[in-house]
Amino acid sequence: MLQQYAGIGAMLIIAIVFPIIVIAISSIVRPKKAAKYKYETYECGLETQGETWVQFKTNYFMYALVFVAFDVETVFLYPWAVKFMSLGTFAFIEMFIFIAILVIGFWYAWKEGALEWN
Amino acid sequence: MNIDYSLLTIEMLTAGLALGLLVLSLVVPGDQRKGFGYLTAAGLAIIFAISFAFNGVNKEIIGGMYLIDDFGNFFKQLALVAGVLVALASIPYVEKLESYRGEYYSLLVFATLGMVVMVGAGDLISLYLGLELMTITFFVLTAFKRGDSKSAEAGIKYVLLGAMSSAILLYGLSMLYGVAKTTVISELVSTIQAGQISPALILGLMFLVGGFGFKISAVPFHMWSPDVYEGAPTPVTSYLAVGSKAAAFAAFVRIFMGGMPQIQEIWIALFAGLSALSMIIGNLIAIPQTNIKRMLAFSGVAQAGYILTGMVAGTNAGIKGLAFYLMIYVFATIGAFTVAIGFSNATGSDEIKDMAGLSQRNPLMAAVMLVCLLSMAGIPPLAGFAGKLFLFSAIVAQGKLWLALVGLIMSMVSVYYYLSVAKSMYMGEAADPSPIEIPGSLKLVLIVSMVVTIFLGIYPAPLTGLAEAAASVFALK
Amino acid sequence: MSDAVFTVAFYVFSAVTVLAALGVVLKKNLVHSALLLILAFVGVAGIYVLLQADFIAAVQILVYAGAVAILVAFGVMLTKRGDIRESNLANRQKWPALFVVAGVFAVIYALLGQTNWGPLAAAGPEDSVGILATLMLTDFVVPFETAAILLTVAMLGAIVIAKEVKNSK
Repeated sequence: MLQQYAGIGAMLIIAIVFPIIVIAISSIVRPKKAAKYKYETYECGLETQGETWVQFKTNYFMYALVFVAFDVETVFLYPWAVKFMSLGTFAFIEMFIFIAILVIGFWYAWKEGALEWN
Repeated sequence: MNIDYSLLTIEMLTAGLALGLLVLSLVVPGDQRKGFGYLTAAGLAIIFAISFAFNGVNKEIIGGMYLIDDFGNFFKQLALVAGVLVALASIPYVEKLESYRGEYYSLLVFATLGMVVMVGAGDLISLYLGLELMTITFFVLTAFKRGDSKSAEAGIKYVLLGAMSSAILLYGLSMLYGVAKTTVISELVSTIQAGQISPALILGLMFLVGGFGFKISAVPFHMWSPDVYEGAPTPVTSYLAVGSKAAAFAAFVRIFMGGMPQIQEIWIALFAGLSALSMIIGNLIAIPQTNIKRMLAFSGVAQAGYILTGMVAGTNAGIKGLAFYLMIYVFATIGAFTVAIGFSNATGSDEIKDMAGLSQRNPLMAAVMLVCLLSMAGIPPLAGFAGKLFLFSAIVAQGKLWLALVGLIMSMVSVYYYLSVAKSMYMGEAADPSPIEIPGSLKLVLIVSMVVTIFLGIYPAPLTGLAEAAASVFALK
Repeated sequence: MSDAVFTVAFYVFSAVTVLAALGVVLKKNLVHSALLLILAFVGVAGIYVLLQADFIAAVQILVYAGAVAILVAFGVMLTKRGDIRESNLANRQKWPALFVVAGVFAVIYALLGQTNWGPLAAAGPEDSVGILATLMLTDFVVPFETAAILLTVAMLGAIVIAKEVKNSK
């Protein structure tokens, strides 16, 4: 089984080595002239005002929360989907209950306004 | 796949009640959510009544993955009856909440469901999931007091330490699985041989004891309990104190007595140490406490020590004592905490010194507090005396006289701080002698806990029968 | 795959995991810690692959590196703090903590090293997902449904607590 991962391993090695080579070459061939303006933050030609790290809205967190819960649900859903045909009705009912319970949670999140942006 | 689903009635009804309450709190407009407390209590009471139909039913589901037996049923009944009392005791607290009333009760029932799954689990994975369901629900309930920094602090402490203890427990379970190559508890008996105990197994057992020891707040895993008990809403504290502890003890009995009786001498030594430490340290630190919730937290540590002696005995008599004691501990603890709820509801204080003169301000509250504390101290003819008698006679029968002596001496020490509360209530002069009024639901909880504590002290036979049936599930000496 | 490649891969993934985890603890900027946490998760996923638990490895990447780390990053950005560069400071317990952790590690290492774990399976199953699915939906039906309830409770509880923050603002 592990042989199948040889391709991924090769990709991984290329993905690590390639940027190193590119950056190394560019640092060799590029002109090195330090200037004050080169070190300033470039954003549409404007200086940043105040703190760049601001407190985020809790809404982001709410989305992430609901996302994590359903991400984990996917993990349970995937094996079932793979074996769906051979598992039969019993597994179908089980999965139905599983999803129904989570839908109640989702309904709650919706109703409580966890998915609203205000 | 043939599973007799009627065996899972209690689990399914509890899950249905919890989800139903959640849906109901979505459907019913916020300002009309008044009767949720009574609804929860009634629902749990009905499930409690149904659970008696399972007395004497001893069956396994799916090759021992889940067990329906008298032992599990005893602890399910414990969780349910504690749930009923806590739901009733929560009513005045929840009425003060601005929102999330339905959610509070829903979470309470989810915690009950966690305990129910945990005590019925026949394999380590179900057990762990039940435990997590219970613990995560308690994380949320602990931090439920909105805008209260102590509640938030308690919540964050409980999350961090609880997650740590869960990790340790899982690590221990993984070692146990590595050695035994099975997660089914009943199969551990044949896969772990007494002759060849591997170092990894001992390490796994230690981690297991640490993980569950956290839940029962045995010394040295008790550090979280005073802060969490103090910061959490008091009804939640009372459920945490009895439910979480009882479920963890049930898990101890299931895994150690049910799965590993053949290597008894190893874990008995561990439990004996924990038990003695908990009794001594819990009782000694309880003495200087001035806050009633902190005092009860340390007294809870000491009580965990007494109950652990049931594990040290390692016999059916020990399990019987453990089960009996946990059940009466439910009533004594919830009674005492409910007095604290009523008192802080009326005066806003949890301090023992403010309770001075309570006997004039509200004789019922003072009487219940007195009865519950004396029961915990083990004064005859209250139920706590019968419980301690069963526990200590079980260990003396196994030749562990020293532990019984430690228990007896520390019980005498505990009388001192329990009575100092009584002294303050009965002899003290109230700064404000106005009578305290408490709501009807609290009165009901107080009267039930007092009556049960006195009744089982005088006539323990009904509960003894149930506890004996629960213990007989395990084939020990 | 030859044993040598396996061994090299194992040590590479272990080194990545351990160093990244150390970085999580030692980095002074909490955002850097959160990013290193993702790297640690990926390293663990690599070890799962080597153990032929491909489904668990995928879950590790999907849930931990994908979702949990995002949640941590959001959690960091939500909290109000002064200077982000000084947001993950060590206290004076650093050296005692190192001492205790080293001791615990030594004990665990010694005990686990001495253990005879018995014969190991020669190879993992070809179709691990299918076997998992069958087990999950037959033998483990009670924990399976409990997991659904656990997820719902976690979502409900997190919303109850996190909404509170918003209202009190």
